[in-house]
Amino acid sequence: MSYTAKTLVSAMALAAMTGGAMAQDDPVTLTVWSIDGDDRPGPSDTFSAEFNEQRDDIQIDYRIVAFDDIVNETLRAYATGNAPDIVSFDNPDFALFTSRGAMLDITDMIEESDVINVENYFEGPLNSVTWDGRIYGIPKYTDTIGVFYNKDMFEEAGIDGPPQTWAEFEADAEALTDPANNVYGAVFSARAGEEGTFQFLPLIQMSGGSYEDVNTQGAQEALAMMKRMIDNGWASQDVLSLGQWDATGTFNSGNAAMAISGPWEIDRMVDDADFEWGVTLLPVFEEGDERSSALGGFNLGIMSTTEHPEEAFEVLEYFASQDDRLFPEFGNLPARSDIELPETGTPEKDEALAVFQEQLQYAQPRGPHPEWQRISKAIYDAMQSALTGQAEPEAALAQAQTTIDGIVN
Amino acid sequence: MRRIWNSITDGMGFDLVLVGLAMAFLVALAGLPLIYNVMMSFQEVDMFTLGSLIRPWAGLDNYREVIAQPEFGLILRNTGVFVFGSMIGQVAIGFALALFFMLKFPFAGTIRGLFLVSWVMPGLVVGAIWGWILAGDFGVLNAILKSLGIIDSTMFWKSDPRLSIWAVTIANIWLGLAFNMLLLSVGLQAIPRDLYEAAELDGANAFWRFSSITLPMMRSTLGAVLALGLIYTLQQFDLFPAITEGGPANSSNVAQYWAWQWSFQLFDFAKGAAVSVMMLIFVVLASAVYVWSTRHEVRG
Repeated sequence: MSYTAKTLVSAMALAAMTGGAMAQDDPVTLTVWSIDGDDRPGPSDTFSAEFNEQRDDIQIDYRIVAFDDIVNETLRAYATGNAPDIVSFDNPDFALFTSRGAMLDITDMIEESDVINVENYFEGPLNSVTWDGRIYGIPKYTDTIGVFYNKDMFEEAGIDGPPQTWAEFEADAEALTDPANNVYGAVFSARAGEEGTFQFLPLIQMSGGSYEDVNTQGAQEALAMMKRMIDNGWASQDVLSLGQWDATGTFNSGNAAMAISGPWEIDRMVDDADFEWGVTLLPVFEEGDERSSALGGFNLGIMSTTEHPEEAFEVLEYFASQDDRLFPEFGNLPARSDIELPETGTPEKDEALAVFQEQLQYAQPRGPHPEWQRISKAIYDAMQSALTGQAEPEAALAQAQTTIDGIVN
Repeated sequence: MRRIWNSITDGMGFDLVLVGLAMAFLVALAGLPLIYNVMMSFQEVDMFTLGSLIRPWAGLDNYREVIAQPEFGLILRNTGVFVFGSMIGQVAIGFALALFFMLKFPFAGTIRGLFLVSWVMPGLVVGAIWGWILAGDFGVLNAILKSLGIIDSTMFWKSDPRLSIWAVTIANIWLGLAFNMLLLSVGLQAIPRDLYEAAELDGANAFWRFSSITLPMMRSTLGAVLALGLIYTLQQFDLFPAITEGGPANSSNVAQYWAWQWSFQLFDFAKGAAVSVMMLIFVVLASAVYVWSTRHEVRG
């Protein structure tokens, strides 16, 4: 037997031994579903791949599910017994699952955890994973909305600063509208869908209402204002069908002087907008009024059907331990107060970020309610019927209130 | 034993096997889902009981609640506008094109073939393209209409409640045009030429030839085309999410999209099923017309 042959044999023996050892101790496989990684790398897909490299005992089988499908897919999977171990939902969708016992109660696990600490999370995001005082998940990242404004246009029109009240918002929009150059004063999303509710609910809240109490004086005024803006051409009628991303696209191309949207726009705006822009907090009705804003963002949770709750929790811990990378690498805001966001080097981006972080303190969750989708529909239906003139704002909101009363009571 | 085998290889048994296979296929893939859907419309369906068959009985509650919705009347009206607008548009323009291509001119057949492009395109793609054409501020159609001087202010096809259902109907007419034209062309070619020659000799002008020969001879084809048009229009779904999403304020919402919204946006599968069962009644009527109008076709 030659030397090389001996090496070969011992190498094979070694391989057989390690192979045997691995076969005895198969890694636990966990499925994780999230929307991340669809069009560009996101946190969940990146962290899953890293986790798989670091660990031999637990392996993640990561699946990208499109934003529009994730609730449906998970419902179907849960009904047929094929649910994923860990899933990530938009925050208003989370209560649908927690209220039915589809998510695992991780309150006790969090108490013993060194990585996840409840006190570090903002109140709004934390509320969206809480049901009956127990915690069923952790916020993944968060966002909110404010007003982007075109500084060049404001300067040209001789307006001092961005609007602080809705009356100023309307007046500025009127002053900045320039049909000859295809410029609208403002753009927002009043679409028949979750985005519509996302943008309109803060106005209900800052006028003293809530998702359970929508027919406030302020909400009626707000609808009347939005309708005036559309009727007078200060905002395009297309705000009724545009989503936030497309609506803000018209701002970036210089066709609108103000846009209501969130921090997810910043990176594209830095690239696309060839003018000076800034962000300000969502206006209020009267100066000194209590502020409010929408709370966006996703949560992560373990489904109650999992066979490996401890291992799944370890995955959550790993994801949470990487939260400080959310903003620098993915542009997402961590839902935690204990993370300092580093400067990016782009002044506009850093300024915008500071505004959104302040705005986050006023952000309120949608719900949590297991039938949030129906409540949300009542709200955006009312908004749309008032803005199209099908009903007076008061009648539209009264109709929504009747529908909501039937759901929450 | 042998007799049974013989009958299967050469006789009644063979026919039965063939019919049986087709029936089994139909029952499994169309019949059972249909029954499941009808059953669901009478039950209380929870998103977490989707997988089970036995669920609490709800009687007619789902139907009552669907009809009690404030948007019910509007959606019914829109469905009518969409279905009849699409059918009339498709048949009228399709018939005109079919007649046009019956004329003998160079490349008539090739150009007619090119029209089929619209028919093979997926609805979502057609919807996205029409979405750009019909866009308000920077839409193609608005630019054309403005440069021709037909309109001077922007028409918000997708966002104006008076226009939105027509926006989707226009897109659907375009989508179904080629199919209608093709079926009608086949019908036209089946009319014997000598009828026209005889009529011409008798001094009938073009209008008389059309109304007393073409139309009567095309009756069964037209019936079939209209019935198929009704069915295809009622199942047209892709254009709605791609162009208007039923908005604004349900002004372009139709029954088929509403059923989807109930089931997959509000997760109320029973109500979605109830809407689709109501639509089923119309489709059954249309199928009856279709069967009736094609009864003269050769039967074995």
